[in-house]
Amino acid sequence: MSEDISDRIRALNDIYGMFYSISDTDIGKHAFHFSAKDNLATKDHPTTAGSRILSGYRPPFDAAPVESLRRAGGALLGKTSMDEFGFGTFSVNSAFEVPRNPYDIERSCGGSSGGAACAASLISGHLALGVSTGGSISCPAAFCGVYGFTPTYGRVSRHGLLDYGNSLDKVGMLSADCSLIGEMFPLIAGDDPRDPTSCGHPEMRDMDMPTRVGVPRDSVEELPAGLRQTFDSALEVLKEELGMEVETLEMPMFRYAQPAYYIIATSEASTNLARYGGMRYGARGESLDSHFDRYFTDVRSEYLGAEAKRRVLLGTFTRMVGLRDRYYIKALQVRHGVISEYKRAYQKVDAIITPTMPFTAPRFNEVAGMSALEIYLADHLTIPPNLAGMPHLSMPCGYVEGMPVGMQMVGDHWEESMLLKAGEAWERVFERQDPEAMV
Amino acid sequence: MELLDFIQRRFVMDKETVRKVAMLARLELSEDEMESFTKDLGDILGHLSMLDEVQGLEDYAFNPVEVSDVLRDDEPHQEIDPEELLRDMDTYEDYVRGPRLS
Repeated sequence: MSEDISDRIRALNDIYGMFYSISDTDIGKHAFHFSAKDNLATKDHPTTAGSRILSGYRPPFDAAPVESLRRAGGALLGKTSMDEFGFGTFSVNSAFEVPRNPYDIERSCGGSSGGAACAASLISGHLALGVSTGGSISCPAAFCGVYGFTPTYGRVSRHGLLDYGNSLDKVGMLSADCSLIGEMFPLIAGDDPRDPTSCGHPEMRDMDMPTRVGVPRDSVEELPAGLRQTFDSALEVLKEELGMEVETLEMPMFRYAQPAYYIIATSEASTNLARYGGMRYGARGESLDSHFDRYFTDVRSEYLGAEAKRRVLLGTFTRMVGLRDRYYIKALQVRHGVISEYKRAYQKVDAIITPTMPFTAPRFNEVAGMSALEIYLADHLTIPPNLAGMPHLSMPCGYVEGMPVGMQMVGDHWEESMLLKAGEAWERVFERQDPEAMV
Repeated sequence: MELLDFIQRRFVMDKETVRKVAMLARLELSEDEMESFTKDLGDILGHLSMLDEVQGLEDYAFNPVEVSDVLRDDEPHQEIDPEELLRDMDTYEDYVRGPRLS
């Protein structure tokens, strides 16, 4: 990295905390620069997923998407800060850096890919790899005023991704420049035998942007006035300047997506986190002389953060014999119902559009005052497409009191190209406002 | 069986339930954590119970898209040097050391 730019990024990082670690790579010698969320394995950087239980862990290999971008000539600028294991909506559940919003440092970047969105917003021409389980790309993209693209479940290899929820995790991209995402996304898409869930799917096919979009009625009710006005104005631009037809839809299953998501996500997370016991990765216990139960319990109790413990407890509970049908199987049935509802809607419209989040980036003191349930409920617009594995794109669409607002467009499975075309058309008619501190 | 009976009798999240679930999850909670998690998980479970309204759904799958069986060739290969994998572990003469089993 040229010294001047490197120094400026490090100086910005002191203020904004978007990177957990930064490379000394010379940007000038590479075709482009990118970052990776810290739950993607990298052989030349520590990989902690924002957790103390992985302190000091350095994987011996690169995650598949990192490997693909390096092979294409990209320089890895660093690893971006995040909520521990992706457990959060505001990136405040990190054991390390908490990223600060590029438009107001007293506010959250959103989560859990908060550092990725912050880097995408502050570094010109930057491409950030993010990961979404329930909205962890869309939410921070909206709060930080950038484009955040989440592909269909299975489109991108998860080899080298530290699992949160195996049936929900998706690697995607964030950038201030949607055409950069459109250009780079095919590099990371496609079959990878190391992740069988990425194999045997329909190829990416070239599509036009949507001509008919639907807005679920419930998604715009009870929005703050400024946000509603901004979203409605964006719909007018879609109609007037991009020639789209907009209609209102009834999608009653969506209200059940949020509870179903938290059951599936925490059930899967509680089994995935069972591997962190102080032997194979990161933090170790004080003495191997203790009984294994005691040893694992001590390490996990000391090094997992509060939200990780909360989700492990919830997921362990909902998977218990006797409760499994009531919670886990019911949640899978609801997911099937939500997917069917999307498929029915796609017989009438090409894509579904909502605001991305029901508010703009909150102040840190407001986040501190929210209960766990209130925070879970904040994800209700990003969860339906994530639960259903549908590709989606959050686009900046306006500003309320200087803070960015996002709108989220959702397509049918495997229709990534349609969304990226819409994003590229949108960035020709929408003027983004860069944050003041830019590199 | 004792635990199963215990769980089936109660769908509420109280301290005793949290303590038993924590034991299964290999977590030991402080008194403060016990207080806050009992309240939070109780609130969350109350919210999850809205799924009881949903009736008549039978079909389900474990993934949101169809995932086909993909088998790799059964060829021995070594992608990562075992030395590198052992670097993060406590070892004794190339064996991984772990805590006592008894």
